[in-house]
Amino acid sequence: MSAVTATIAEDKMGAVHAKPAQRDEGARLGFRLTLPAQILVLFISAFPLLMQLYISVTDWSPLSGVGWWNAWEMWNSFANYTDLAADTRFWSALQRTAIVMLVCVPAEFLLGLALATLFADDFPGKRIFYSILLMPMMVVPAVAGYMFFMLFQSGGPVNDILSRIVGAPVTIAWLSDPTLALIAVMIADIWQWTPLMFLILLAGMVGVPEDQMKAATLLGANAWQRFTTIVLPKMKTIIIIALAIRVIENFKIFDTLYIMTGGGPGVATETISVYIYKVTTQDLIWGYVAAIALAILIVLSIVAVYAMKRMAKSREVPA
Amino acid sequence: MKRSVPFEIFRYAAILAAMAVTLVPILWMVSMAFKPIGEWSATGADLTWWPKQPTLANFQFVFGHSTNDLIVALDHTAVKPILSSLLSAVFGTVIAMSAGTAAAYGLSRFGSGQNLPLALIQLRLFPPMAVMIPVMIMWAFLNLNDTWWGLALIYGIVTLPFAFWLMKTFFDDMPREIEEAALVEGCSRLRVFTRITLPMMRAPLASAALFVFILNWSDYLIALLLTTREWVTIPVYMASLSSSMTGQLYGAKAALGLIAAVPPVIMGIAIQRHLVRGLTFGALKQ
Repeated sequence: MSAVTATIAEDKMGAVHAKPAQRDEGARLGFRLTLPAQILVLFISAFPLLMQLYISVTDWSPLSGVGWWNAWEMWNSFANYTDLAADTRFWSALQRTAIVMLVCVPAEFLLGLALATLFADDFPGKRIFYSILLMPMMVVPAVAGYMFFMLFQSGGPVNDILSRIVGAPVTIAWLSDPTLALIAVMIADIWQWTPLMFLILLAGMVGVPEDQMKAATLLGANAWQRFTTIVLPKMKTIIIIALAIRVIENFKIFDTLYIMTGGGPGVATETISVYIYKVTTQDLIWGYVAAIALAILIVLSIVAVYAMKRMAKSREVPA
Repeated sequence: MKRSVPFEIFRYAAILAAMAVTLVPILWMVSMAFKPIGEWSATGADLTWWPKQPTLANFQFVFGHSTNDLIVALDHTAVKPILSSLLSAVFGTVIAMSAGTAAAYGLSRFGSGQNLPLALIQLRLFPPMAVMIPVMIMWAFLNLNDTWWGLALIYGIVTLPFAFWLMKTFFDDMPREIEEAALVEGCSRLRVFTRITLPMMRAPLASAALFVFILNWSDYLIALLLTTREWVTIPVYMASLSSSMTGQLYGAKAALGLIAAVPPVIMGIAIQRHLVRGLTFGALKQ
């Protein structure tokens, strides 16, 4: 182990002057510097995962009167996992999470891309517009949830604007209708996270070389052709990164949604995080929650490993 | 590149539309925070976009100065939640930044901890909800439930990936000549790190710390699970405010929302330059 680190240290810090003693000192210092982070990672991964695995094969709950270490007394031979397969509320929450993702992420991407295109070159007022358009992503998500909770009240401003457009009083009960409530929480998510797409995509667009664009213009390419043949291919990696970030974060959706609807009406806006939260705090069957959580972690890990292998492969062949 | 006049008109029209959509939700909350109770849930023709009689009563109310309009009195005021948010976010940032900066330097210069980049990205990948059962059990065992220091510890771990990746890209970008010169002069590597590298990196360190602070300050779910009464943070406190007498305390909640929303927005604008780097784990620099 120490030999390996030493060779890496050598080519990291210029081998020219590094005496062997200095190299050892570097490896030792490197080890000590990374130690706190390693301990924190271990503290939050190894032990909790083992605990989760252990509890997930029992009926343990914080109300069961025995410490979690004695949960084996309540061993239920993998019943939690078979229950999970038959749990329709879990599967419909998963399906709902997927729907939210399939609507929100593409919407945020397209809106962000459109905005980034408008901001690609300089114009008067660019900086101030840019700063204001980024504001939603900095608002605390729970507060954003409360903003939209107020906006979508039946006597609230959204209906007021609609009334003015239609010319007759509109009193839609947004948050108590199953379909409209889902639409409302998706609007809130799109409002908050389109700026993130805009920010990242604009940063990528600025990197597209100007001379190629000029050459294409001279050759007679119109704006749309320049966009699809030069800008988009150059931005491929950045687009993948931006989409990956939003997919990961959107899968966790909780704060805004929970403040707006609490997962309701009924279970109409119950996504996977909200479902787990409710089972954790209301039903208190933690053995079952551990099983759900572990199943999700395993699936996500497989997806992550697969995605990273794909990305590593695509990096070998530059696009 | 020269653009045509119709394009410029279209551009400004589109941007103004986007600005309106961006600002209406924010301004509605700002307006609500200054509305007297009578205007809170006025509807139809009475709906006011801007308070007719602006008042600070909502702010006075959440800080415990009971007003005549609001019959209810709070059983505890916003002071402690604000303190809790501040303490947990600040110390969470301290934990994430110290562990993250040290580890980033160790990896960037000495190649130690090769497992960390991937392990930390994985940490970020998982929904917090899927790892909270063991955390809640461990925190109860360590007597960390419902304390600001318990929150600070989990915040430090949750935001460690950002601190580590941001600082790693900053260290990778930094020219090594000065460090190497100091080494030749006979400085120990630890002294080089603490006396030369860190002071040179003051500005990036500050940006990274602000970025991590915003993330910690913005949390709702973890505080909701790990605090119950004594040390609830602003978002948890805000969500719990409602009364059987007046129903939703719109104005009071909006006032709290405003208090919670202002610091990260200001900080975010201050570190705009580094936002892309922070959000993409350094994959993309602006």
